[in-house]
Amino acid sequence: MITEILKGMFTTFKHLLQPPVTIQYPEVKRPVRYRFKGRHELKRYDNGLEKCIGCALCAAACPADAIFVEAAENTDDERYSPGERYARVYEINMLRCIFCGFCEDACPTEAIVLEDNYELSFYDRASAIYTKEMLLVPVPPGGQPTPQKVEPGKYDRAIPEMEDPK
Amino acid sequence: MSDLVTVTIDGVEVTVPQGTLVVDAAKMIDNDIPVFCYHPKLKPVGMCRMCLVEIGVPMRDRATGEVLRNEDGSVRLNFGRGLQTACTVVVSDGMVVRTATQPVKDAREAVIEFLLTSHPLDCPICDKGGECPLQNLTMRYGRGESRFDFSNKILLDKHVPLGELIYLDRQRCIQCARCIRFQDEVVDDPVIDFHNRGRRLEIVTLSEPGFDSYWSGNTTDICPVGALTTADFRFGARPWELTSVASVCTHCPVGCNTTLDTRREAIAGGRSVIKRVMPRQNEWVNEIWICDKGRFVHHYADAPTRLKQPLVRKNGQLVEASWDEALDLVAGKLQQHKTAVAGLAGDRLSNEDLYLFQKLFREGLGSNNIDLANRRLAGGDVVAQVGLASGSNLKELGAGDAVLVVATDLHEEAPVWWLRVKQAAERGAVVVVANLRPTRLDKFATHRLHYAPGEALSTIRQLVNLAKVEMETADSDPLAAAADALIKAKNMVVFYGSEGLTYEETDALARLLANLLLVKNGEGHVGRPNNGLIPVWPHSNTQGAWDMGVHPAFAPGYKPVSEPGLRATDIYAGVADGSLKALFVIGADPVGDGLMADRGQLDFLVVQELFMTKTAELADVVLPAQSWAEREGTFTTGERRVQRYYMAIPPIGDSRPDWQILAQINERVGLGKPAFAASLVFNEIAKVVPQYKGMDYRSLARVEKQWPDVGGEDLYYGGTAHENRSGLGQQWACVAESATVERFDVAEQPVIARDGLQLVRVAALYTSGTLIEQSPVLHHRMARPTIQLAHADATALGLADDDRAEVTVNSVTYETAVRVNEQVPAGLVLLSGVPYIAGLTTAQIRKLETAVAQPTGD
Amino acid sequence: MAHILLRHRDIENIHELDVYLAHGGYEGLKKALSIQPDEVIEVVKKSGLRGRGGAGFPTGIKWGFIPKGPGEKYVIINTDESETGTFKDRELVEKNPHQVIEGALIAAYAIGARTIYNYFRGEYMDAAYRFEEALKACYERGLLGQNILGSDFSCDFYCHYGAGAYICGEETALINSLMGNLGQPWSKPPFPAIEGLYGKPTVVNNTETLANVPPILVNGPEWYTSMGTEKSPGVKIVCMSGHVERPGNYEVEMGVTYRQLIEMAGGMRNGRKFKALLPSGGSGPVITEEALDAPMTYEGLTPYGSVMGSSSVIVMDETTDMVWAALKMVHFFRHESCGKCTPCREGTFWMEKVLSRIYHGYGTERDLQILESVANQIGGRCLCALGDFAVNPVLSTIRHFFDEYKAKVSGAGQKQQATRETAVATAD
Repeated sequence: MITEILKGMFTTFKHLLQPPVTIQYPEVKRPVRYRFKGRHELKRYDNGLEKCIGCALCAAACPADAIFVEAAENTDDERYSPGERYARVYEINMLRCIFCGFCEDACPTEAIVLEDNYELSFYDRASAIYTKEMLLVPVPPGGQPTPQKVEPGKYDRAIPEMEDPK
Repeated sequence: MSDLVTVTIDGVEVTVPQGTLVVDAAKMIDNDIPVFCYHPKLKPVGMCRMCLVEIGVPMRDRATGEVLRNEDGSVRLNFGRGLQTACTVVVSDGMVVRTATQPVKDAREAVIEFLLTSHPLDCPICDKGGECPLQNLTMRYGRGESRFDFSNKILLDKHVPLGELIYLDRQRCIQCARCIRFQDEVVDDPVIDFHNRGRRLEIVTLSEPGFDSYWSGNTTDICPVGALTTADFRFGARPWELTSVASVCTHCPVGCNTTLDTRREAIAGGRSVIKRVMPRQNEWVNEIWICDKGRFVHHYADAPTRLKQPLVRKNGQLVEASWDEALDLVAGKLQQHKTAVAGLAGDRLSNEDLYLFQKLFREGLGSNNIDLANRRLAGGDVVAQVGLASGSNLKELGAGDAVLVVATDLHEEAPVWWLRVKQAAERGAVVVVANLRPTRLDKFATHRLHYAPGEALSTIRQLVNLAKVEMETADSDPLAAAADALIKAKNMVVFYGSEGLTYEETDALARLLANLLLVKNGEGHVGRPNNGLIPVWPHSNTQGAWDMGVHPAFAPGYKPVSEPGLRATDIYAGVADGSLKALFVIGADPVGDGLMADRGQLDFLVVQELFMTKTAELADVVLPAQSWAEREGTFTTGERRVQRYYMAIPPIGDSRPDWQILAQINERVGLGKPAFAASLVFNEIAKVVPQYKGMDYRSLARVEKQWPDVGGEDLYYGGTAHENRSGLGQQWACVAESATVERFDVAEQPVIARDGLQLVRVAALYTSGTLIEQSPVLHHRMARPTIQLAHADATALGLADDDRAEVTVNSVTYETAVRVNEQVPAGLVLLSGVPYIAGLTTAQIRKLETAVAQPTGD
Repeated sequence: MAHILLRHRDIENIHELDVYLAHGGYEGLKKALSIQPDEVIEVVKKSGLRGRGGAGFPTGIKWGFIPKGPGEKYVIINTDESETGTFKDRELVEKNPHQVIEGALIAAYAIGARTIYNYFRGEYMDAAYRFEEALKACYERGLLGQNILGSDFSCDFYCHYGAGAYICGEETALINSLMGNLGQPWSKPPFPAIEGLYGKPTVVNNTETLANVPPILVNGPEWYTSMGTEKSPGVKIVCMSGHVERPGNYEVEMGVTYRQLIEMAGGMRNGRKFKALLPSGGSGPVITEEALDAPMTYEGLTPYGSVMGSSSVIVMDETTDMVWAALKMVHFFRHESCGKCTPCREGTFWMEKVLSRIYHGYGTERDLQILESVANQIGGRCLCALGDFAVNPVLSTIRHFFDEYKAKVSGAGQKQQATRETAVATAD
């Protein structure tokens, strides 16, 4: 009988001396796994042009019908992305999204990437819809914000030979 | 039967008419031979080499002609030296086709691989992606992996406007020439062609302005890749996102079957909007083509200037009101002025609207003062007797048949009819064109009768008289020759219009032409399929307006009324002199069209409209109606085919469909509970109008398998025109089909002495109007006011090409451009790009000095 | 032996009408006009004359295809001589134009045509001037125009100048070009004999073919069949070029061997060793030593997988790099592909790219396989013969000289993979 109690106490005391496992979220955040799928980001090229070409393949691939894209045509005076087409409207309804990553797979330009952010909470349904401005990453250093005025004929192909953002 | 041959395709026997191509024969038994350049509506060229198959023909003994047999008794086949193109080889008896062998598979794989060595892989941004024959056939027959391991594919221009309407992506073009051949063979507008050779073979436009054709949009449907796109739809949506709704074109009496592709748009506030208009196959009406007006003039449905709320005039201002308030007011006022009311309708409204409109007046108010606001063409009653017989298809007209076209420019007024008459001429039909001046149909006509101004009726009367007698020396006189050719034809179809004629004259013309059809040469040309009269009505449902009794003298179904009401001209007079107190205008703008100066001495004016027109601005109550895209209904074409259209987009604002508004007014004037669905109104029509007996929304929606197989899954074959799943419509039978029709008495028209230059208003497809103005994509193509006249007449007036002139017609003055055109007969001035003007007027033309700022080529 | 076609080599100034007439000129036409058109066709049929443009279709039979009866018909002379190494028609129209005109007139009379067109290669301006002078002289003497030589036969003659497209030597492309359309062939049927120029029955004959006709009419078909072989009777102009001592045109009887032809042209240049020859310009497969004793007839090279074609013999000696030769030919065909049908338009381009890569030493074994595979994907699947022509030099050089290709893609010949793509120059 005593031995059992001592055994139990021993276990208790053992854990008393070990460092705590509780993480003080939100002050402390645990790093996520390499393949974690959090909130989407729309990426840019180094010069600031958007990678998204508004092809809506992500919307087509989305099993939850969470993505809405409306495309429009680029001009050299007002260029958002390389090639002819860009996303004039890009919206993801985060309430619908199931974070499956199909959009990432479908994207021909690697524009949409599910990143680390998992802190998604809203006060109402409307604010669950993330617009393009919310999803786009900031312009990288040295780049220009979109729309850009570019030299004619320089970015006339949709899938360009540009370096990926680091 | 000897004109059928039996061939075996992959072991399946099929019996097809002689002259059928192997690719079509295979299609008939659902054996898909992939093609890029071949199209069932175009002549085969065999240039894409995708349809290569093994074709064997029975070997015959040269001396005896007997079929040679193998030892086992089977027929010996000669498969030639290699693969043959299924699109150029015509079937022959005993032919054996193999489409699934290894050499065939290899050949298909090779062609796909070759095409992809220069075709860019920009499917993600391509408008065709998702409905692309190249994409589909690559998935189905391609290698899956390219061996073309060079990164430097040929780079060509991706943004080449061929005109304001069509854009070309040279890099995507696979040089199948479908567009070029369509423009050349089908519509005779060879304005695009290839330039250069080899890999540099590229499409260029040869016209100024670029791609100057009323048919350009069709090339985007038949393009097997995304090389041709319309300016209207470019990057508008991905095809799989679109919801397709069947509809009918609202712009001319042909009644082309269309499909409205709609999609919800964030920029439209989440509403569904029309993204594009596509043709819907109806081999009886428009086959798979539509004109650019039908394709691009749809923006009025979504226009921001649409009326959204009922408006009632209070203290001189039109202010928003509730429906109940507005409808109560309208019903009350109409009843108050029961003895002095009139109704004017537009002829773009549906049958349901028009029926309820006349019911309001005839049954609710006891008045026959109802007419079309813009009467141009008479003869509806004649058409009811001897119209084009039911079961007709203009596609069947050919050698031995005749088409007479009088006083109309079909190419501008009803382009698809022009196309079908042109194709009948190419199949060998006799085409007789009678008009004041040459039109585009003259090129295909066998007889051209250009009468002098004012002599239209006498010329046709002479033609009818000549057609009565058996002639010996026919070719001495062109009129006699034409009469002879017409009367000897197996089948005869007569089109008539109102160019240069007054309403009364068109009535006489219709009767004269009916008499021509009634001339018996054997059977006479009425009451049999592919015979009869077709009026080239000004709008999409003028026929329906006649059928529904929107006429002072005819109740629905052409029942004469005992006391005919006021005609439109009398109504306008009554408005001015105060004998009419209340006027109901629906779907028309008589003030804007110059038919009515102002509201005159009216006590009450109600206008039911889509837009704030000039008439609406003067109204006491304005009722916002729904456009055709927001509601369902039926139109009746000039061939008297009743066709159904469907609801495609949600209503704008608080607007209601016309029939519903009218039903609610009818209830208020004591006509009982309103019908709650358009189909029920149509059921009532079917009860009241004998011609529509037996029709209902279900029978109008009936479809049958059509040839060629277009739409559906087989985009590679017929292009992206839609398959018809929503109804081919029903043609109603004219009197002559079941009874004998007596000759018509034709009242002698007063002969007016014509001297001086005679001015005639001629139609132009893109003439400015309330609806077309809402489509900015067409603004560059709009017909500007222009006069055309012969050189001698121009010189007499001191005018030269490119001058500006001031033309006064019926006290309205237009500033016009001047075109000297030797095609115009002397003594005649053609005025186009202005609203309709009836009959001939003496031209008052003044040259404008160059000080007047000339609009530069915008 | 006196020349039958290249008569200007025997008679000076035969391009002048008087000289030509003095030496029996237009006797063939007179003979033809004295008999019925059907009989003229019969004479030509009996002579066994076959098309000299390369395909070798019997001329009389071709004329016989033209429907009898009224209606417009046309004769077209194909002087769009664009085959590499071919220059026989040029000499004919420039130096002995009347014989061509006479032949064409006989053809027109035989089929009932009232109009003759001569489609010149655009670069042959000098020859064309000479030819037009000859035409002018004919009109002045009543040999062209209304009631020729006092007979009921009337005929007009027009010259048209191409714009330098090889494909316009193909008869349907030529007709398209003549009508003002893009010079692209059409898929036969319809054959020009039924629906040709402006939709009317049309005969398209090579210049040399027609030059053969007047002597046949004058001397009779038996005289003609006494020359050459049984299936390929008569004489032929051979264009010798390449590594021979005396390149040029040689008029020979059909059936001489290629070895004799090389000897006739003075043997190999600088006494080097023979390596290969192209018997039909760029369009025929190469032949090697083994085939040199084959007779030059339409069928003679069949056992060796080649054709006589237009008999423009390009001789290559031992110093020739066969991969380079194949590349040259493919470049030509890539440049001349009209672009109408897919395999030729895309395939020639691809072949040139791969071949260029191999030639420059950046190729691999896989490239060799691709080259052969692409060539096989083109051959036999095109709308006209150009596609087949384009693969002939490739496939035949691979067959005969595989070692040379092999050397290019392996060992010392092969360069670094890294620069493989960038270093390859193409004309695009």
